[in-house]
Amino acid sequence: MSFESMAARTLDTASARGAVYADIRFEVARTERIEARNGVVATLSDSTSRGYGIRALVDGTWGFAAASDTSDAGLDRTAARAVEIAKAGAAIARRRFGEAPPKAYADVFVTPVHRDPEDVPLNDRVDLLLEAERLLHAGPQIGVGRAWIDLWRTDKYFYSTIGSKIEQSIRQTGCGLQALAVGNGDVQTRTFPGDIGLYASGGWEIVERAGLRENAQRIAEEAVALLSAPQAPSGVTDVVLGGSQVSLQIHESCGHPAELDRVMGWEANFSGVSFLELDQLDKLKYGSEIVTISIDNTMPGGMATVGYDDEGSRSVRSDIVRDGMLVGYEMSNDTARLIGRESNACVRAESWEYVPMIRMCNLNLWPGEIPFEHLFDDVRDGIYMESNRSWSIDDHRLNFQFGCEIAWEIKNGKRGRLLKNPTYGGITPAFWNSCDAVADAASWVAWGTPNCGKGEPMQSGRTTQAASPARFRGVRVGVGYGG
Amino acid sequence: MDREQREDLARRVLAFSHADQTEVLLVDRDASLSRFTHDAIHQNVASADLSIAVRAIAEGRTGVARTNVLDEASLRDVVARALAIARHAPADPEQPALPAGVPPPAPAEAFAEATARATPQLRAQICEDIFRAGKADGLWAAGYAATERGGITVANSNGARASFDGSDAAVNVKMNGGDSSGFAEAYETDVRRLDGTLLGAIAARKARESAHPRDVEPGSWTVILEPAAFGELFSYIADHFSALSFDEGSSFLSDGLDRTYLGENVTITDDYAHPLAPGMPFDFEGYPTKRLALVEHGVARAVVTDSYWAHKLARENTGHALPAPNASGPQARNLVVSAGSKNAAQLIAETKRGLLVTRFWYIRTVDQKKAIVTGMTRDGTFLIENGRLTGGVRNMRFNQSILEALRHCEFASELSRTGGYSYSVVVPAVKIENFTFSSGTGF
Repeated sequence: MSFESMAARTLDTASARGAVYADIRFEVARTERIEARNGVVATLSDSTSRGYGIRALVDGTWGFAAASDTSDAGLDRTAARAVEIAKAGAAIARRRFGEAPPKAYADVFVTPVHRDPEDVPLNDRVDLLLEAERLLHAGPQIGVGRAWIDLWRTDKYFYSTIGSKIEQSIRQTGCGLQALAVGNGDVQTRTFPGDIGLYASGGWEIVERAGLRENAQRIAEEAVALLSAPQAPSGVTDVVLGGSQVSLQIHESCGHPAELDRVMGWEANFSGVSFLELDQLDKLKYGSEIVTISIDNTMPGGMATVGYDDEGSRSVRSDIVRDGMLVGYEMSNDTARLIGRESNACVRAESWEYVPMIRMCNLNLWPGEIPFEHLFDDVRDGIYMESNRSWSIDDHRLNFQFGCEIAWEIKNGKRGRLLKNPTYGGITPAFWNSCDAVADAASWVAWGTPNCGKGEPMQSGRTTQAASPARFRGVRVGVGYGG
Repeated sequence: MDREQREDLARRVLAFSHADQTEVLLVDRDASLSRFTHDAIHQNVASADLSIAVRAIAEGRTGVARTNVLDEASLRDVVARALAIARHAPADPEQPALPAGVPPPAPAEAFAEATARATPQLRAQICEDIFRAGKADGLWAAGYAATERGGITVANSNGARASFDGSDAAVNVKMNGGDSSGFAEAYETDVRRLDGTLLGAIAARKARESAHPRDVEPGSWTVILEPAAFGELFSYIADHFSALSFDEGSSFLSDGLDRTYLGENVTITDDYAHPLAPGMPFDFEGYPTKRLALVEHGVARAVVTDSYWAHKLARENTGHALPAPNASGPQARNLVVSAGSKNAAQLIAETKRGLLVTRFWYIRTVDQKKAIVTGMTRDGTFLIENGRLTGGVRNMRFNQSILEALRHCEFASELSRTGGYSYSVVVPAVKIENFTFSSGTGF
């Protein structure tokens, strides 16, 4: 039976049971993971997962049921379960959150792929990782070398009772390296690219672009050098952050607080709430005037780039922070309606098993005009930090503390000696208002995050934050190491 | 699918394989969760799946393939894919034979039919009990009620046969006031032991009593961490008990076992049969899980292994494997911190000036080797003055070595199960001297 036929049966069942609206999302996900560790292939796996999730709306209340059983009986049982769940919630609801989506679409979306990973023989994929991992062992102090590739293909088929019929074939690829050096009673780690690897939508071209073999030795040498590097200082100083660290900074301090479900208290017991409250919209000076942060789920290469989100809304670009001012949120149909706006298609589910919810998707800090190397020019005393190692922020998204794998002293406009264990912290709006330079488009990179956690049951989201390196003045550093 | 059906399926799949050695892991799970906010359920979900993973080993080469499509052709295909992948992998000289052992019976309390059969109406009733508990104080509730059942079967071509059926249920509630909040949680294998009214009342009391919080100065404090707070903090050294971390040098135990690392009053075990958290008596290789002391009176005694790391380090296989393929190493999944002699109320009564912490948030490792972590307090932080709680305080960020904390602490006499999305532990409340807070917040 085709997905369309199965969808028709399921949606009919849900309607007959009492749903005023229902949709079904079939997904077939194929994943491959290869990981080399200390000269052996520690992981070589290939997974297929096929299933569907049904949303049913009854009396303004949603129910969701998912299953992998695609028999007629399985489809009927799961549709009935979604409706029964919705009714159980409706029976005690003191508020109604749900309405049917306002628009239906019929369309097809396919991720552009320049080189299909399946055209690269498995032996070659394994050999590349083994060679890159071997190059990490630059000396006896390298205790662990790791190199990995993730290949993901997800085919989605979305149908709804208002007539949506959306087919999407999404391809995502990631890879990275990590060296762990042990010595001097210490452990130091270096990761490449960025702090988690390079992840993007697309094919094998992403692995080629990453340059694992070309950078392995340097990364390992840096890990070893950190073992004998001086401790990064504590105090208040100017800070330049590398692009991947700026990416994490906007992820944690803008992307999450701008999720409108969080603002409305829908995540209050777990991920928390947000300081970007509704009465701050168009009033809060979130950052300095050079700070503009947008969502763009149409951006080529973004991990969250799709044609339509998981409740059937079409991808768009919209601003969250424009010239420093808070002007928008990441929204779903239900949350957007509550503030008189339209969804900007920020709804995703980890897989067929999970209910769609607001995710930050592709969230980008727009580049400035200064070449990266000139960010240091105007710094007399400061620290340049790269590659995140530790990240923590409170449940209102205000008080944050981040640590990086590596840093360099900045003295009189020049990058100086290596420093280990750099950390910095602050309060979100004060920090972003201290940003006085963002590097230009030449160093602007779309950094994918393959494992953003949110929700209960916990869902792992795939996001991107494109960013250039940036400069911040008067930042508290060395927190956790006496600062 | 019941145990017999899973075991039949595992036998069928094993029979398809022509690899030197083959392992089949079946996971059958049906989980439901009713999540609420502002006194209404906004995410009400259920999910059912049965997946099968095949690990094939040929000439020391290993491949793993997984599927949840269970027709005959797909089952044959997943076996063929595992073997084909294995043939592309280099041989690993450390790869031991797949283990075979006879696990003991699971604790009887690990499975409750009432939980397996829980309905959305039952979860809604728990939610409604919680809503009611906050109403008198004008509080609104956010949280969830969850139930699940799971069946696991592991079989391999060397004779391993292991099956487990378990259930779990949980309630998590945060009561929200104008400038304060309070938290309560409970985990039980039998949903009938969850009391929404009681948990709602605890969370409401905390929100009420921490209203109008005052600022206190960051710095060095005596703290009493309730089980939810201590459990999350403690979970950040769980990886240190893995043979992988021990071997690679990133564990605090890497300098060697039979040394004193923690306070004399600290005893840590891994115990799948603990009455508060009865679980699976074998690991994901089907090998019996040993109940073992990891730290006795501050002295490190053991790390956990699986077949690979036991062979590599010439140690006993303690039965702590994760599902293959696993580059993360074995894991202690059932950690228990032994209780002390005084109850939590006595620990508070003996504190001249300190802080009572209900819960932490967003703990992350700052320094792996020293086990320094940072995180925030949330949902009920109270000032203790002269042995009494005297009101709520605004939340603060801490930076603290867990090892230092466990060298200067006193445990309460009551144990609780607590957990999060990546851990489940049994711990007491704990009093810690010189706990370091580094900054504050405005809430």
